[in-house]
Amino acid sequence: MNSILSVSHLYKKFGEFTAVDKISFDLHEGEILGFLGPNGAGKTTTIQMLLGLTEVNSGEIKYFNKDFIKNRQHILQRINFTSSFNALQGRISVKENLIVFAGLYSVKNSSKKISELSEYFDTGDLMNKKYWDLSAGQKTRVNIIKSLLNDPEILLMDEPTASLDPDVADKLLTLIETLKKSRRLSILYTSHEMDEVTRICDRVIFISHGKIVAEDTPKNLTKKITDATIKIRFVENKDTLEKYLQEKGLSFVFTDTHKVEIISKEQDIPKLIFGISKIGIYITDIEIEKPSLEDVFLKIARHEYEFHQ
Amino acid sequence: MSSINRITGVLKQELFITKASLEVIFDLVFFPLINIVVFGFVSLWLAGSSTKEAYYLLSGMILWQMVYIGQYSITIGALWNIWSRNMSNMFVSPLSIKEYIVALMISGLLKTLIIFILTGVLSIFVFKFNIFDYGLLNLSLYFVNLTLFAWALGIVLLGVVFRFGTRIQALAWGVAYLLQPLTAAFYPVKILPGFLQTIAYLLPPTYIFEAARINLVDPSVQWNLMSVSFIQNVVYFILSVWIFTILFKQSRETGQFAKNDT
Repeated sequence: MNSILSVSHLYKKFGEFTAVDKISFDLHEGEILGFLGPNGAGKTTTIQMLLGLTEVNSGEIKYFNKDFIKNRQHILQRINFTSSFNALQGRISVKENLIVFAGLYSVKNSSKKISELSEYFDTGDLMNKKYWDLSAGQKTRVNIIKSLLNDPEILLMDEPTASLDPDVADKLLTLIETLKKSRRLSILYTSHEMDEVTRICDRVIFISHGKIVAEDTPKNLTKKITDATIKIRFVENKDTLEKYLQEKGLSFVFTDTHKVEIISKEQDIPKLIFGISKIGIYITDIEIEKPSLEDVFLKIARHEYEFHQ
Repeated sequence: MSSINRITGVLKQELFITKASLEVIFDLVFFPLINIVVFGFVSLWLAGSSTKEAYYLLSGMILWQMVYIGQYSITIGALWNIWSRNMSNMFVSPLSIKEYIVALMISGLLKTLIIFILTGVLSIFVFKFNIFDYGLLNLSLYFVNLTLFAWALGIVLLGVVFRFGTRIQALAWGVAYLLQPLTAAFYPVKILPGFLQTIAYLLPPTYIFEAARINLVDPSVQWNLMSVSFIQNVVYFILSVWIFTILFKQSRETGQFAKNDT
């Protein structure tokens, strides 16, 4: 695959604190790469360095095979950024903000471009409103318009769905999927919402304490967590069941007198259910919770995840 | 061409913000005009029958606005973006810091020119004092020197804001007024105590105000004063760019530049 962003041995220290510790990764053409990690893991610092807002101590950032530091203006013309933590100029109108950014990106036929994007994102009625009068969802749509003004080849998105209603967040995710397909856009995507990362990201990188601790597709990462949770509802004989589970050395908890949650290896689940039935427990309901990216995230945050390349 | 587009983009933003902000209109138009009116009447009252002394004060106040507006425009122009959490958006575009500062300098220049004309016209109608009597050459030399000083001051303060964030934003309004008494805008330098005179002569506007007072009775260009002011201004301008470069670099090294938006 063609790498259009290549980061190698990126390192950043603030005083004695190492924020980013020699990380290396690539973003490929047309790929959505999830860049994940707990708060303070080094995600934001990395993105700030990728955008030239914060200086690197060492390491190399290459966009389109060109060194970022040496080709800053040329590269920034071809990429863009959107974040729920930044805003546009609040006291001027949406249209005025977009006119300013069209100027900064030297957009040709800027009025036409703004109209087209405004129509696509259904923001025509917002154009003359002051930016600070918009709702969170409206601001996000306008921010996305700003980030597409220059037809970027790479988009860096920092928690774009934070503070959005679920339906607005869903629309945004659909939009990102559409953009990826229609424009072959490459996206570096950070989020704390693992469901949305699982939905849209082709690949994810987990970062913790400034280091990359896991890197794979969402599906493969979850496969590395072998434990699943089985929720069983049963009629009677709680004591017999408890004794059986203890003998098997399983981790379990009775949530009430007729319900138990058991942690088991995924491949052992059929054998376990058969065993429980065999000791005369009448099962009325079974629910199996397979590991998700959320579990991967939690394990990384708790330093329980072992990364095997 | 792209560079011109980006500078024009920032200038458009300045125009949109100015149009939309009552605060900016008050700071740049209302307060300078009120200052001129109040100062003009006080000057007339204190000077009694001697209008010359009154005009000393009035010309000092009109010319001082050039320093205030030029510096204010650069520093506050950037603060509007920081307050809106828009600064990162500006600098993840191809806009360079040089282009941004040039745009703010041009914006300051235009605002200064407009306010100078407004205050000048006001003083003609209200106090029968015509600052345009100084002549085009004198006024141009005042304008160049005072604007250069305002830019240098604005650039240093911009660096300080980038480096330390909004916690020191009060300097954006205050520093010019701290320097005002030392530049002898309203009185001859010789009134100041000895050590303050030494400081006053290290400030380029001092020479302009001295020249303006002389020009009220003798319209010939005070080349010696103008030259010293200009040389100091060139030195200060170079120094301000150097200081800004250091502060801006530190701001990006420490992460403060990005933090300003959060």
